[in-house]
Amino acid sequence: MAAASLAELAEGAEDTHRMLRDAAVNFAARETSIARVRALRGTGPGYDRAVWRSLADLGWTGILIPELHGGLGLGLGEMATVLEEFAKTLSPEPLNAVAVLAAGVLVQGDNDALRAELLPGLALGRVLPALAGQDPHGGIEPLEIATRVEAGMLRGEKRFVVPAEADGYLVTAQDADGPAVYWVEQGAAGLQRSFELRADGSRSGRLVLDGVKVSDAQRVASPAVAGAALQRAIDIATVMAGAELLGVMRRALDLTLEYMRTRVQFGKPIGSYQALQHRAVDLFIDKELAVSVLADALLHLDGDDGQLALWASRVKSRCSDAGLRIGRESIQIHGGIGYADECDIGLYLKRAMVLSAWLGNGAMHRRRYAALTAARAPA
Amino acid sequence: MADMDWDALDDETFRRAVADFFRTEYPEEIRFPAHFLRWAQCQDWYRKLYAKGLAAPAWPREWGGMGLSPGKLLAFIEEQEKHGVARTPDIGITLLGPLLIRFGTEQQKREFLPPTLRGEYIWCQGYSEPNAGSDLASLRTEAVLDGDEYVITGSKIWTSFAMDATHMFVLVRTDKQAKKQEGISFMLVDMKSPGITVRPIRNLNGSEHFAEVFLDQVRTPARWLVGQPNQGWTMAKALLGFERISIGSPKLSQTGLQRLERIVQARGLSADAAFMDRFTQLKLNVADLTSVYGRFAEIVKRGGTLGPDVSLLKIFASETFQRITELTLEAGGDAGAIEGEVAFGDAAIDILSPFYNARPATIYGGSNEIQRNIIAKSVLNLPG
Repeated sequence: MAAASLAELAEGAEDTHRMLRDAAVNFAARETSIARVRALRGTGPGYDRAVWRSLADLGWTGILIPELHGGLGLGLGEMATVLEEFAKTLSPEPLNAVAVLAAGVLVQGDNDALRAELLPGLALGRVLPALAGQDPHGGIEPLEIATRVEAGMLRGEKRFVVPAEADGYLVTAQDADGPAVYWVEQGAAGLQRSFELRADGSRSGRLVLDGVKVSDAQRVASPAVAGAALQRAIDIATVMAGAELLGVMRRALDLTLEYMRTRVQFGKPIGSYQALQHRAVDLFIDKELAVSVLADALLHLDGDDGQLALWASRVKSRCSDAGLRIGRESIQIHGGIGYADECDIGLYLKRAMVLSAWLGNGAMHRRRYAALTAARAPA
Repeated sequence: MADMDWDALDDETFRRAVADFFRTEYPEEIRFPAHFLRWAQCQDWYRKLYAKGLAAPAWPREWGGMGLSPGKLLAFIEEQEKHGVARTPDIGITLLGPLLIRFGTEQQKREFLPPTLRGEYIWCQGYSEPNAGSDLASLRTEAVLDGDEYVITGSKIWTSFAMDATHMFVLVRTDKQAKKQEGISFMLVDMKSPGITVRPIRNLNGSEHFAEVFLDQVRTPARWLVGQPNQGWTMAKALLGFERISIGSPKLSQTGLQRLERIVQARGLSADAAFMDRFTQLKLNVADLTSVYGRFAEIVKRGGTLGPDVSLLKIFASETFQRITELTLEAGGDAGAIEGEVAFGDAAIDILSPFYNARPATIYGGSNEIQRNIIAKSVLNLPG
């Protein structure tokens, strides 16, 4: 490979990334604010359709959707750049859950008609689908599902559905021939929806499917591809959740460092005390490790090295734990005010808690990493 | 072979050639040694390196070095580590040589570089003192000009391989009036000079590669002062570039993890969920250390300058290595306090040496607490 072409490639990629990052920074200044984030907490649907359409106008909802279906057909690096910047704003719009996770299942599925019907609307910001992949017990194994399709009827329960209030759901279920994914529109007969409140004030959905009529036309992914499609979409969304966690931890750490420079106790800024300095440095190291593993993952995944699951678990275990630690320690360094809801730092902790638990927390991914690496019998 | 242009090879060919040499030519009995090697144990190997023209990878070719680009130099060091090739007492090659080449006079270069390269001059470094460890700039060993000689009095400590060394380079105070860092000079001393006493220091691992060096009115020629008087501190600091990345290499952790993995298999620990969570955490730490090392290595390969944030690499590399050696003791169970090689399945593993060797990793090269101070001030901009 010629060095010059690689350098050009990197430069070109840097330009795209810079443009996307600039757009995200502009978006943050124009369209959202911490006040908006606070106002949406505990409300339904918990996000703003108008803001969602702005995201679509910027092209962000279609970054990973092929051009054929109205998207931009860009790579994971571009998506990660946007998600990292977007996450810094704590905006509640479910960009990863819809534009990565749900879009990924649709793209990887094998129903051309449904792809042609849903993906352009998703890219344009008109249709918000959500993956309903987990049964009530949760977990990160997409095929451990008791939900079934029998005689054209879906029966079962789904939990941890994000966004809870979507226009339709990609429901995983055991078909006669194995696991499959079905598209169920919101409002379908036999579909009941309820909500659980998440730490950051957003909603997690519970679906009861009590005889929802489905046809083959609604089958997004047949048993021939469903397992692989789900695993790939979930693993990519897991890497992207790492990018979101990175955005959250960067901003939380910046806020905490600024507080350390300005808060005066015993006549000096608290940031001048070595005990606190060393704590802050450890948080900085955690953040830098997250940066490194994410960058390495994106580099390898763009070349598709066949190790997506390993990279996803590495990224998520590091970013989940780093995000939580930076969130918690930021509260401690802020002292009493950090425990007050009026102080913004708590919002970052709570978002980190939500992102950490979503798609498998650090411990779950450590277990999976151990199983995956044991399976390939290291030298 | 000795005047081969290594830098003209493409990166892959170069790496392979070096790897082949380390694999086939390095003496098996000293591969991955548990202790630092004394000169007597590795001088044959050094001569082999010298004969092949591989003794001074970073030196320019005009002085007999390999003239490697930063990228190839890093590859050389990485292959050395990968094949368990121990460093000889080579601080004259790695530290003094580049310093003389940059700051020395022509006469100093001619006088010292060739015998150093031939392995005739073995150097030791006199920086730390009993009362100047982390606070190195408070050093008090003094040099007073007397005619065309300096007279040096004081003591140096943690001097590696002082017993093997023929020469020492020292930081000494030449101006007691100046501010701490500004009154320090860099000079060279012959270890055979009258007034030098070397007292070996036995370390926790039972080896004696450190020593304390006492200097009692030791005379050294004034022309052996390198650079300008009172500029020694700045010079010594300017040359820490490559040390700062190799000190953060993941290799020790990677081999430590392999050692631990063998014990895990031999003792059937993979069924112990509590143990495995910690083991996997370390495995991930090593993987992520490799990623973060790669990031900084990329900067070096492109010829860039490392910023103060590279301190995080030293902190994470040394602390990860320590944790691995700690978990290895635990995994050993009752054998976790047995000296020397212990049988685990069909492998004989020395558990304690790596544990001991990992202790100073967080102390030397600027203790990890000092590294944290550096990051706090220079990277995080926290107030002093």
